[in-house]
Amino acid sequence: MGNFPILTAVTFLPLAGALLIMLVQSATGSNGQDEETRGRQSLMAGLIFSAATFLASLVMLVSFEVDAPGYQLVEEVSWFAGIQYKLGIDGMSLLLILLTTLLTPISLVASYGTVKQRLTEYTIAFLVLETFMIGVFCAMDLVLFYVFFEAGLIPMFIIIGVWGGAERIYASFKFFLYTLLGSLFMLAAIVFMYMQAGTSDITVLETYAFAPEVQTWLWLAFFASFAVKLPMFPVHTWLPDAHVQAPTAGSVILAGVLLKMGGYGFLRFSLPMFPDASQFFQPMMFALSVIAIVYASLVAFRQTDMKKLIAYSSVAHMGFVTLGIFSFTEVGVQGAIFQMISHGLISGALFLIVGMVYDRVHTREIAAYGGLVNKMPIYAAIFMLFTMANVGLPGTSGFVGEILTMTGAFQASTWAAAGAALGVIFSAVYMLTLYRRTVFGPVTNPALENITDVGKKDLITITPLIIGTILLGITPNLVFDITRESSLRALQMITGG
Amino acid sequence: MLPDFALLFIVLAPGLAALIAGLFQKYVTDTGAMVITTGTVGLAGILSIIQLFMFAFGGGVVEAVHTAAPAAGDHGAAVVAPVQHIITLLTWMDVGQFQADWAIRVDAMSIVMMAVITGVSGLVHLYSWGYMSEDPHRARFFAYLSLFTFMMLMLVTADNFIQLFFGWEGVGLASYLLIGFWYTKAAPNSAAIKAFVTNRVGDFGLALGIMGVFVVFGSVEFEPVLSAIRENATVTPLALADAAPIRELIVPFLGYNVPALELIGVLLFIGAMGKSAQFFLHVWLPDAMEGPTPVSALIHAATMVTAGVYLVCLVSPIYEYAPFAAGMVTLIGAVTALYAATVGMAQNDIKRVIAYSTCSQLGYMFFAAGIGAYQAAMFHLFTHAFFKALLFLGAGSVIHGMHHEQDMRRMGGVAKFMPLTYAAMMIGTIAIIGLGIPHTSFGFAGFFSKDAIIETTFAAGSNGVSFGTLAFIFGIVAALLTSFYSWRLIYMTFHGPREDSIPPETPEVDSHADEHLSVDDHGHHHDHHEDPHESPLVMLIPLGLLSLGAIFAGFVFYDSFVGHHQAEFWAGALYNAADNTVLADKYNVPEWVFWAPLFVTVTGFLIATFTYFFNRGFGAKIAASGGPLHNLFANKWYFDEIYNATFVKGTSWLGGFFWKTGDKRIIDGFGPDGVTSLVRWSSRRLSAMHTGYLYHYAFVIILAALVFGAVIFWRVGGAG
Repeated sequence: MGNFPILTAVTFLPLAGALLIMLVQSATGSNGQDEETRGRQSLMAGLIFSAATFLASLVMLVSFEVDAPGYQLVEEVSWFAGIQYKLGIDGMSLLLILLTTLLTPISLVASYGTVKQRLTEYTIAFLVLETFMIGVFCAMDLVLFYVFFEAGLIPMFIIIGVWGGAERIYASFKFFLYTLLGSLFMLAAIVFMYMQAGTSDITVLETYAFAPEVQTWLWLAFFASFAVKLPMFPVHTWLPDAHVQAPTAGSVILAGVLLKMGGYGFLRFSLPMFPDASQFFQPMMFALSVIAIVYASLVAFRQTDMKKLIAYSSVAHMGFVTLGIFSFTEVGVQGAIFQMISHGLISGALFLIVGMVYDRVHTREIAAYGGLVNKMPIYAAIFMLFTMANVGLPGTSGFVGEILTMTGAFQASTWAAAGAALGVIFSAVYMLTLYRRTVFGPVTNPALENITDVGKKDLITITPLIIGTILLGITPNLVFDITRESSLRALQMITGG
Repeated sequence: MLPDFALLFIVLAPGLAALIAGLFQKYVTDTGAMVITTGTVGLAGILSIIQLFMFAFGGGVVEAVHTAAPAAGDHGAAVVAPVQHIITLLTWMDVGQFQADWAIRVDAMSIVMMAVITGVSGLVHLYSWGYMSEDPHRARFFAYLSLFTFMMLMLVTADNFIQLFFGWEGVGLASYLLIGFWYTKAAPNSAAIKAFVTNRVGDFGLALGIMGVFVVFGSVEFEPVLSAIRENATVTPLALADAAPIRELIVPFLGYNVPALELIGVLLFIGAMGKSAQFFLHVWLPDAMEGPTPVSALIHAATMVTAGVYLVCLVSPIYEYAPFAAGMVTLIGAVTALYAATVGMAQNDIKRVIAYSTCSQLGYMFFAAGIGAYQAAMFHLFTHAFFKALLFLGAGSVIHGMHHEQDMRRMGGVAKFMPLTYAAMMIGTIAIIGLGIPHTSFGFAGFFSKDAIIETTFAAGSNGVSFGTLAFIFGIVAALLTSFYSWRLIYMTFHGPREDSIPPETPEVDSHADEHLSVDDHGHHHDHHEDPHESPLVMLIPLGLLSLGAIFAGFVFYDSFVGHHQAEFWAGALYNAADNTVLADKYNVPEWVFWAPLFVTVTGFLIATFTYFFNRGFGAKIAASGGPLHNLFANKWYFDEIYNATFVKGTSWLGGFFWKTGDKRIIDGFGPDGVTSLVRWSSRRLSAMHTGYLYHYAFVIILAALVFGAVIFWRVGGAG
């Protein structure tokens, strides 16, 4: 590829699309066309840009050298005051970027025909969000990272607050404030690190030895941000509200990508930069992970709202990510990265699945459903597949992440492994109960009498996720080969550093 | 062994058939799906049975001995690397030392299992042509059956614990789908979830066991793990403990220091308890009878539920050096054998009687494995598959002929309408009670395998193996009860006058009895006064073939499985420690031990004949009298009630508590909502401030951030 700045291209292509849509729409004004038509045009344009971004990220995948250590495709431009515009990727960021560029077009397709208000602004919000998300995963400078990390909040805040459900204001503020509160601590830490180390270059900071007591504070500050993002118990309560109020596409991106920033942050910053503190806080992280898994699974079981149930399920499944990361073993860390990718696919699919019936019946109440299999057999089959993937059935990607993170944890603490394994039982309870109440049984609600099975649009959105979930379930090495170097590097810094 | 392409066909073709029948049912039609699945599994069955015969009586044995000889080494017969052939298909997971492949491993164990699985499955497929002929979802049904077959084959041909777990959970999925096959009804749905979740409780143990294996041995593949135990190699655990010879290795687990092999043995057995419906985790099996009867025969009698026994036998080296874990296997097995038999005596649903009988027979297999007679356990697994599938399919034939009646109290006198089914059920009954004459070759299949278990268990008890004597006593008593409830079933169903006028007594019984009634309209009229009719030929052929197995499987394979040729037959796939001689000692037990099973069997037969043949109504009188013992048995020792009151209610309560009190009241109450109301309260006081959430929050946040930042700078500055 020569010196073509592929990372910059991938990162800013969606933003360029957003600007173009904005310019064209404001330039043409409302000459003759109604808002809906123009909105549809914007959505189509947004779709083209996000699809192009996905293709560009595939170029990135091809250019990536699996066995090469360190960061690749690095681009570096001095910005100001020693802060650089520096991008680069390793295996972990590569896959998270791919996940982002895959889920964004899927979200836009899913919005087609369901979002009717201000579609132009909606599309722009998603494209802007995509740029910030990609930026988070490839920023090689701490300040640049922070800019992307925080900026990403705004479009998501708007998506929930404008296109959300009835309680969207409460939910979006709760989301915004929790995450902002967390990241302010991180900002303070970043400023301090920059002042002490004299640089905000991540590759330099990785090898910079902060004094142990300093590490503790810095670790806690980063933890505040990542724990909220992930989310971990007890700062998880914003997530169910945000999901319930967010439009389907917002939930897909929120669960699929935004939560992953927490796990990514722990692996990219906490472990390499604060190895001693990470070791020190291992018991706390294990405890919080296991609590998240068991607690959220039990709470999920009692939910009456489909989206809330899946939101709590997300909290539980992200618990496996932190469990694996803080096992400090190759199996655990590889499993954690895999779990992030896998959860991105599965939770994204589950929110799409809820969205499909929400679009048809306009309620998320579990009790309003029942007997869908009689009317929607293909839907029932797809839902079954992802139900099983979510409970970690071997052969789906859900299993690989769970068994590896638990195996990693077993090496560090048998208590943690046993606690997490307990959560695996409960996941079967809430998912099978949900499935039974919505899909099985006779049709009792008259509103479901004329419900139609999945259509072309639904299949377009869900098929890539079906393929991904099964493919990664059967040959997870596709992921492990790419992430091996980054996992080993993070581990080397914590055990060897 | 068969050539590779045939092995690949046996294992993979059923999976492919399931995919075609399931995904393309619109194009292949119901009949197409039935032909594809039945043809594939049937052919796999024929190939597997040929392979078993080749292995037991043909060149397979010779080849096995030759290959095994060099591996025997200096340690004598005790350390024999198993003769096996592994076809690696694809790398599954490759993460550090965590290496698992998709593979097909063929050894004596998997050859036996492949024959049982594909043989019974082929017949069940065929039988379902008749039994399910009126169901509107036949393609889906046959797809599930073939999917199950594929998963079960993946389980028994795995060469590592992870693929075993894949098959293990995969059969659980198929079982879940098939129990809940009639998905519009409440009872099958509940039963399906109960089965899946109870199995998950077992899998909790299995998964931890596998993690334990990995951490201790640094591998999840069978051969490195098992050979390390056979050779007492020094292993270096990845964590938790220092290197030590494996049989002496102690690891910490949940605060206790326990021998590694005991820990792994107990955890793996918890998995086996779930899958094989052993005491404490047995509650799902009787409810699983909500599924269509061919499913009960295939999954919940002949194959899936034996996976636990298979697992324990597969890792026999672990239990050989884990006396506590082995003792637990023996104890749980013996208790289950007796417990399930007591409950079986008091059930009125024909399928539930057979379900408890299955539970009880699985208990026999487990205590045989627990005392170290893995060969006898596998032998009973093998013969049991034939006669239990026969009994279930026979019961299905009765249910089909009786227009979906399952309550034996409303049967009676069926023999004259269904003579062939009657004959098959008689053969199955004689096989399960194990009728045969000691020291001769006259006996049905169950005679050879059950008596092998009784004799080895007595020998083990005499050798001082823990719980050996208890298992022997329980086994003998359970044999008495087995004979009683089996004949009770025959008499209530086939003999006496037709008792179709008795109305259903309890709603519970009724809910099982009308198995397809509500939605799967199938043309049968629910007129119970209509006479029963004999089943069609597609259902009778499987009964006939299984009858042959129920009669001859024991006699034909005795020498190979547990007799004088067992070492050549198993070719190292099962392992007995040097001091474990139960298999040889079974020839030297006192004479009365040989005759005891026959004695109790005849006694059970006589009691049943007295109470249910000559004095019909005597049993009903006992039931009506409501004695405490009868109530205990009829209510399955109140397990469901106890579990409901504790685990089910407890989990639900805890979920509600965490949600309403944990999340809402405490976290949100003191967190965001608390802050909001605090700010609102203070802003009312300082009424000059703007209203609106954002400013308040931002104020609080910035204040907090400043304080935090100040603290950091102060601390760091102080530290220099």
